[in-house]
Amino acid sequence: MKDKFLINIVPGDTFLHKLSGSTKVRLFVVLLVFITMSFDLRLILPVFVLTLIGVISAKPNWKQVKVIMSVVIFFNLLNIFLFYVANPTVGEYWCNQLTIIGQLNNYFVFPVETFWYLFVRLIKMLTNFMVSLWFITTITPSEFAAGLYSLGVPYKVCTVVSLGFRYIPDIARDYENIKISMQLRGVEMDAKRTKISERLKQMVLILVPLIITSFDRVQTIANGMDLRGYGRNKKRTYYCEHESTNADKIFQFLTLLLFIFSIGYIMGVNIWPPQTNMWCPIDWR
Amino acid sequence: MKKSLGSLLLGKWDTPTVVAVAIGAALFGVLMNYGSITVFTNTRLTTAMLVPVIVGGLFGALPAAVACFFGNVFADLLGGWGYWFDWSTGNAVLGFLVGMLPVYGANIKEGKFDVKHAVIFAVIAVLANMVAFGVVTPIMTVLLYGGELTITFMQSFAASLSNITVLILAGIPLLYALAKRYAKGTNLSRE
Repeated sequence: MKDKFLINIVPGDTFLHKLSGSTKVRLFVVLLVFITMSFDLRLILPVFVLTLIGVISAKPNWKQVKVIMSVVIFFNLLNIFLFYVANPTVGEYWCNQLTIIGQLNNYFVFPVETFWYLFVRLIKMLTNFMVSLWFITTITPSEFAAGLYSLGVPYKVCTVVSLGFRYIPDIARDYENIKISMQLRGVEMDAKRTKISERLKQMVLILVPLIITSFDRVQTIANGMDLRGYGRNKKRTYYCEHESTNADKIFQFLTLLLFIFSIGYIMGVNIWPPQTNMWCPIDWR
Repeated sequence: MKKSLGSLLLGKWDTPTVVAVAIGAALFGVLMNYGSITVFTNTRLTTAMLVPVIVGGLFGALPAAVACFFGNVFADLLGGWGYWFDWSTGNAVLGFLVGMLPVYGANIKEGKFDVKHAVIFAVIAVLANMVAFGVVTPIMTVLLYGGELTITFMQSFAASLSNITVLILAGIPLLYALAKRYAKGTNLSRE
């Protein structure tokens, strides 16, 4: 599990790494808005390809990426399957029509529109993942906080983000250690051999020490920060935030254009008239 | 020392609070990914729900809400199932309501938590889930993602049930344990 975390503490040296924190955070936020706003494959696919190129150019640790990628693809496929089981005719809502090409029984029918919707949904989820992968592999927690601060977020909230980001690997390591020591004492953790009620009880067994060790640290960290004068002034500057380079300026300009386009799209398509369907390439009727 | 309702709700944003919210959010993110059992699509029986209980009990309602919101964003960032800000907002509302412990007098830091508080906590846990996932999340889903309410309601139902289970079955014993732990060090009175 500890190999699954991609958060880096040390800045890297590729092109995307060298962009300033505020550029990366802006681009990330706008890309999220862009991905969230539509189920239109024509808009989603280019972002998927571009972020894929971004991830490759950032030269991440492929061994880690492969593990996390296989988990993500597995869970998304499982989710898609559950979505189908929950409502096999969900495509009718999105495409305003239903073309049934076969059926198992009266409930499990196979409409083309549902499959199209689930396919677009899968691509959308994977794009979402690529956007966050690109962001996570190129940013450090302090750059993230600096970027948020440049957007006008109060710096105590920025500290929550950077500090939380910083402590995720530590807490995950503690979780793993506690789990191993519980197993050493004979607690059965295998999902196949225990019932759900048993597993809930065992989770509490892991949780109590985890919570106590995590929150015991609070006072120590807070003292350390107070000693360094944290929270005395209203404003704050960030050591990692450098002046904008030419690349930063170009990226910020492109981000602004994308932002204006997204606002226009949300105004025009999502809010009025209310969006009730998605782009379907072929009229199957 | 009587505090006003407003300061109990907002919490005092000093350095320990900032650190505790950060660690709470990180804990929420980790537990959402690893300390949970999938019960329905994108919905888990998760022990992460205990984070707002602790942060709320120790620091107040708004810190619990912030911890829940960023915790959910961290979980989405790590989990790779996409960003669902409707759920993050729902979780923030849930965190706020569940974290109102100091408002009705359950002061964990001074070891105060008895049967009366446990009953109020249980009632609020049920109501908070209904408000957060029955009202706030569907509204946000319509605003942000346009429709798809059948699945959202099914998810809300499953999520509420599993959250209520975790909050009541694990949350109350945990609060008792924490209150007992803090009570040990506090038979001193301020002069």
